[in-house]
Amino acid sequence: MKILLLEDDEQTADYIAGGLRELGHTMDVCTNGRDGVFLGMDGDYEVMVVDRMMPQLDGLSAVKALRAAGVETPVLFLTAIGGVEDRVEGLEAGGDDYLVKPFAFTELAARLNALSRRRPIAASQNSLEVGDLQLDLIKRTVTRAGRRLDLQPQEFKLLEYLMRNEGQIVTRTMLLENVWSFHFDPRTNIVESHISRLRAKLDRGFAAPMIETVRGAGYRLDAAV
Amino acid sequence: MPPSKVLRSGAFRLALVFAAVFAVGAFALIAAFNGAVSSYADRTTQEALQAETALLKQQGAALGQAGLVTLIKRREQTARAEHYRYLLLASGGRRLAGSLPLGVARIGSTNISLPDAPEADEAPEDDDRDGAAEVSTVRTLGFRLADGSLVVVGRDAFAMEDLTRWVNRLTLWAGVGIVLSALIGGYLIAAAFLRRLERLNAAADRIMSGRLEERLPTIGGGEEFRRLSASLNAMLDRIEALMGNLRQVSTDIAHDLRTPLTRLRSTLEGIPAGASAAEHRLAHDQALEQLDQVLATFNALLRIGLIEGGGAKARFSSVDLSEVMERVWQAYQPAAEDARKELTAKIEPDVRVTGDAELIAQLFANLIENALAHTGPKARIRLSLGKTADRVEACVADDGPGIAPEERDKVLRRFYRLDASRSTPGAGLGLALVSAVIDLHGWRLTLSDNTPGLRVSIVAPQA
Repeated sequence: MKILLLEDDEQTADYIAGGLRELGHTMDVCTNGRDGVFLGMDGDYEVMVVDRMMPQLDGLSAVKALRAAGVETPVLFLTAIGGVEDRVEGLEAGGDDYLVKPFAFTELAARLNALSRRRPIAASQNSLEVGDLQLDLIKRTVTRAGRRLDLQPQEFKLLEYLMRNEGQIVTRTMLLENVWSFHFDPRTNIVESHISRLRAKLDRGFAAPMIETVRGAGYRLDAAV
Repeated sequence: MPPSKVLRSGAFRLALVFAAVFAVGAFALIAAFNGAVSSYADRTTQEALQAETALLKQQGAALGQAGLVTLIKRREQTARAEHYRYLLLASGGRRLAGSLPLGVARIGSTNISLPDAPEADEAPEDDDRDGAAEVSTVRTLGFRLADGSLVVVGRDAFAMEDLTRWVNRLTLWAGVGIVLSALIGGYLIAAAFLRRLERLNAAADRIMSGRLEERLPTIGGGEEFRRLSASLNAMLDRIEALMGNLRQVSTDIAHDLRTPLTRLRSTLEGIPAGASAAEHRLAHDQALEQLDQVLATFNALLRIGLIEGGGAKARFSSVDLSEVMERVWQAYQPAAEDARKELTAKIEPDVRVTGDAELIAQLFANLIENALAHTGPKARIRLSLGKTADRVEACVADDGPGIAPEERDKVLRRFYRLDASRSTPGAGLGLALVSAVIDLHGWRLTLSDNTPGLRVSIVAPQA
């Protein structure tokens, strides 16, 4: 992926850019908001990582400017502040996701993948398919190899999110935010409890488990492991 | 109290304004009085003249011209005390009697300024030293007799003029007196007010320079001063509470974060020289885990601080509380089952409140986690939500060990751990956050005995 990073702290910029390059991405780095707007308009980036605090032009204003200029590249904000209002502000300025520092690198990588993967959901799309797993969005039913699975509402939402991010790692935090709308970290591992129940229903009677736990990162749904 | 300060004060200026208004009013009153007196004097003089005129007419008709001359001469002598003066002219214009100058010889009324005729017993040298005789205004009334002679009667307004002069002098002195007393009175009042306010200011300075437990004195002077003192004291109460909070957090942080940070440091320090890659890996993972714990505590503290700051209030909206509690309940169901505890719920649908949905979700999540952490196996935890006419009541109740009455308000503080739970993991911030969210929303939280167990109930107004 071609990624634009707007970060003024050198150490953090090296850390992020280095890590993403290792994963095979192409990185362009700006140290202030003004340059970021110029580059963002010209270059063809798949996703942008923007620090909120920057000299000359802060991250929020830079993204507002880009959006006003018609640039639709998905944006992930980085910030040291993690208040409720700050996240909402970022989204209102045109951002698509929000990460509070310090963060685990795997968190950043997983979210960038999820962002760049965004395809506009066709109005006609009323089902998701991964391997022999089929999910009907209208009827809210799931079948695997034709056999109907009986899922609780939250298990359904969990499976839907995993299927929309098929083949990519989704972190625990991403699941908490997108499946449960929890913007906090519960001490109890409710995600793990739900995943294990989902697995039990999903894989019972099948040889190939579909949900893989990636240690230190998150979970991944694949067609056939 | 330096005079310049008093003169510049608002109280003094106000006093001056009042003095000016009062002075203007007083002047107006005296002027009106003056006017009334003048017109009374005028009227009286006119009436007297007319009476005298009528009398003379009558006598003239009865006595004839010669008799009238005698009468007038005699009256001039005797009536001097009453300040009457006369003039009798024959039809040809020859003066027959009287002391008025010929200038007043006309019919009808006139006023004329004349030097006073000397009193009967006065010598001419008794005039004023500067040679000018005293002058007064004489009002005259003239009429023609049947035989063609002209009679003019005059009366001077000496007494009235005296009175008027006296009233004017009074006005002047009164004016000066009013202004002086206004200035002095205003100064004294302003000085008194300033003294009171200075006491407040001095106390405030003392408090701000470190003696935070002191409060402003009552300074009398009326209800508004009492209210001012009371409001300022309430503000000071709040400041003291906030500072107390701050102090407590600092000590708590020092105490409760030092341990995991120390552990973290020793993990990293304890990697032996020449350790294998696996040992490095292990220490690395452990260190990360410990660091994450510390970060989680910091984040929670920051969160609580931000909530207490109150910024989220601006984004409050109507929240479906039933939906939030259902969501949180179902989120924790599997985890509760895994812990072999029972988590049930009885949630009335369509219950709405005003607030922040995210914070409310976190509030109930924390209460459930608290119940899960502090109850034994086979515990039963129950959520409930119901509404009355205007209020909403939500409950999280468990049948665990509960919290002793004397600890109930302490547990809502940061880092407070009941001795019984000191060994269980968790930084002790869960209930502190609950408390902060409750305060932000203006709701009421009560901890009570669930006989057995803990019952947490929240009362909120309906949206």
